[in-house]
Amino acid sequence: MPSAMVTANMATNEPEVRSNLQTEIDNSPVFYDDNPPQLRLVAVNDQIRRLQTILRDKNSTRSEFVFSADRLIRIVIEESLNLLPYSSKIVQTSCGHPYEGIKFDKGNCGVSIIRSGEAMEQGLRDCCRSIRLGKILIQTDDETNQAKVFYAKLPKDIHRRNVLLMYPILSSGNTAIKAIEILEDHNVPQSSIILLTLFTTPEGLNSVITNHPKVRILSTEVYPVAPVHFGQKYFGTD
Amino acid sequence: MNCMDKGPSNHHKERRLSSRSNSGESDDIIETARIPTSTGRRKRNTSVSEPISVIQTTKRAIYTAGRPPWYNEQGEQKEAFIIGLSGGSASGKTTVAEKIIQALDFPWVVLLSMDSFYKVLTPEQHEIAEQNEYDFDHIDAFDFDLCCETLGNLKQGKKVEIPMYDFTTHARKKNTKTLYGANVVIFEGIMSFVKPELREILDMKVFVDADSDERLARRLRRDITQRGRNLQGVLHQYHKFVKPAFEQFIEPTIQYADIVVPRGGSNEVAIDLIAQHVHTQLEIRNLNFRSQLANAHIGQPLPSTLHVLDNTPQVQGIHTILRDQSTSRDDFVFYSKRLMRLLFEFALSFLPHSDHKVETPQDKVYDGRKFSGTGLCGMSILRAGETMEPALFSVTKDIRLGKILIQTNLETNEPELHYIRVPRKIHEDHVILMDATVATGAAAMMAIRVLLDHDVKEENILLVSLLMAETGVHSVAYAFPRVQIITTAVDKQLDSNYHIIPGLGNFGDRYFGTE
Repeated sequence: MPSAMVTANMATNEPEVRSNLQTEIDNSPVFYDDNPPQLRLVAVNDQIRRLQTILRDKNSTRSEFVFSADRLIRIVIEESLNLLPYSSKIVQTSCGHPYEGIKFDKGNCGVSIIRSGEAMEQGLRDCCRSIRLGKILIQTDDETNQAKVFYAKLPKDIHRRNVLLMYPILSSGNTAIKAIEILEDHNVPQSSIILLTLFTTPEGLNSVITNHPKVRILSTEVYPVAPVHFGQKYFGTD
Repeated sequence: MNCMDKGPSNHHKERRLSSRSNSGESDDIIETARIPTSTGRRKRNTSVSEPISVIQTTKRAIYTAGRPPWYNEQGEQKEAFIIGLSGGSASGKTTVAEKIIQALDFPWVVLLSMDSFYKVLTPEQHEIAEQNEYDFDHIDAFDFDLCCETLGNLKQGKKVEIPMYDFTTHARKKNTKTLYGANVVIFEGIMSFVKPELREILDMKVFVDADSDERLARRLRRDITQRGRNLQGVLHQYHKFVKPAFEQFIEPTIQYADIVVPRGGSNEVAIDLIAQHVHTQLEIRNLNFRSQLANAHIGQPLPSTLHVLDNTPQVQGIHTILRDQSTSRDDFVFYSKRLMRLLFEFALSFLPHSDHKVETPQDKVYDGRKFSGTGLCGMSILRAGETMEPALFSVTKDIRLGKILIQTNLETNEPELHYIRVPRKIHEDHVILMDATVATGAAAMMAIRVLLDHDVKEENILLVSLLMAETGVHSVAYAFPRVQIITTAVDKQLDSNYHIIPGLGNFGDRYFGTE
């Protein structure tokens, strides 16, 4: 399912987006014919479906789970890097011929939401060896059910950077919304934020888009049931 | 050169397949067969000899003279040339065979003895054989069906398993010798010409004729001095089995021979003539392979089996770095690995998948997919293809991996096969064939041909490469239309040295730092 690259026109047709989401919810994987422009789905093929299946299967071993999660994370990371700005560049090949290529601009960083977001850090490092990484710890208060920030350490000049915000499972969306708020507190414009997820629920997607309409969201699947066991199983604390 | 017996004998002597296979490990699948050329430096007491063009590593041999293409530009087999050698026991067949091999001065020659195809004996027959009364010189002592099948497959260029006959148990050993990759096969045995279906397979039939007194004298000398048998026993055996067999079965087949060689191995004129004829035949079959590839298919639309990775900004960015001649090796290695990983994730999506429902921890059934093939193997074309192995491992965990070394002969510009090692039972599997770059497609085609010769299904082969030239794509797709071709970019041209333009230089040299 290819999706067009999201560049402009992000906040306009929000009402359509919401109605769209509500009508599409059923028990099978949901692929929107008409995605909200903020959402970019990774082009799904059989291999990606296979990885998703292993991550969903409760009988998967932890080793299979981690291996498949790392593969899927890498795919999402690679896809997210395509959303970053670049400029054209011509180089000479070893055979002495010119090659018209492109060069990615500097000025990006990653921010992971502790703890499951940290599972995606290595994937990012494997692609961008020296990228700066920030961390945010958000916990849900058991009494008020509100997401509360406990810790945030971010690169100093983060307001000038594009931010890859990493959070594998977007369920209610509360944690991600809170994290985006922190970034905004650090003067990061919404349009510089890309939220990287593996799985997202229509509800969480809807919630993030409603609260922060200019944030771009990347995922491999929109499906009503979130694999909320992800962090437990990945880190082996289940 | 002494003449060790190749004919049957009731003595339990050690026999071995006379193929020059370099396999030290019998459980290993593949060995290429080869014989030394015009060195004369050969030990008769082993089945493995040391040709000068072989570099011995700790465990196995690497050939510096490779096997040129044995198929045409359509990927079709050129058949191996099979020389049949017949003649009475102790007539000098082995000597003639060795002289022919020396005179051929040609790599990838296999010597195959009919001794490998003795029938498995029943317990009763085994008893008789123990008492030296079983007739090994009879037509019924050989398994002609298996012999025809094996030789036929060898002629088709297929990988074959040669049985190893155990003369102490009169049964076949559990392990077999794997033979693959002969351009010329010399098949020798006393009954070589007896069956019409076997004669059919032979391209050239040579009968080694020696005077019967001479043969008896040789046999006596050999059996008495070298095997410690007494005169009585040898004569008894000769009169009871060897002589009648010669008269009844062997001698009449002289009429089928193309050439009769009197005086055996000392007849140099005859051996020269045979070698000349084989050379002529091989030249007719040989093709100037690579230039034919490079010039074919110009201007044709790209085939439907070609799948190019989406040209996303990241892919373009990585290509820019890889192609840039000023890129450091550190960056070159790093970014090529990234691209390989993307490529393999893409490639794996072309494997067959089926629906697969799973239970989730959230107590819902999830409609997923799973791999529905039998198995998956990797096969890298050395040297550059090897660089792709880590990336393959990082997406497939415990994949089985084969290797194949193909080098371009700098004089002829032709690809030559030097070494192969193929995972067991590969024929059921899907195979990911890896090479970093594909220019003319000559090496890739050779590798595909090798896989087909190992009974891998054409539609189960995925040729995966970082960069391909259009002509290479065409050549491979034309010869093997069911092979899936998967790459990250296709460049338009090749220069006169068959380098891809604009290309990225010699991938192996830049990756390994040997430029």
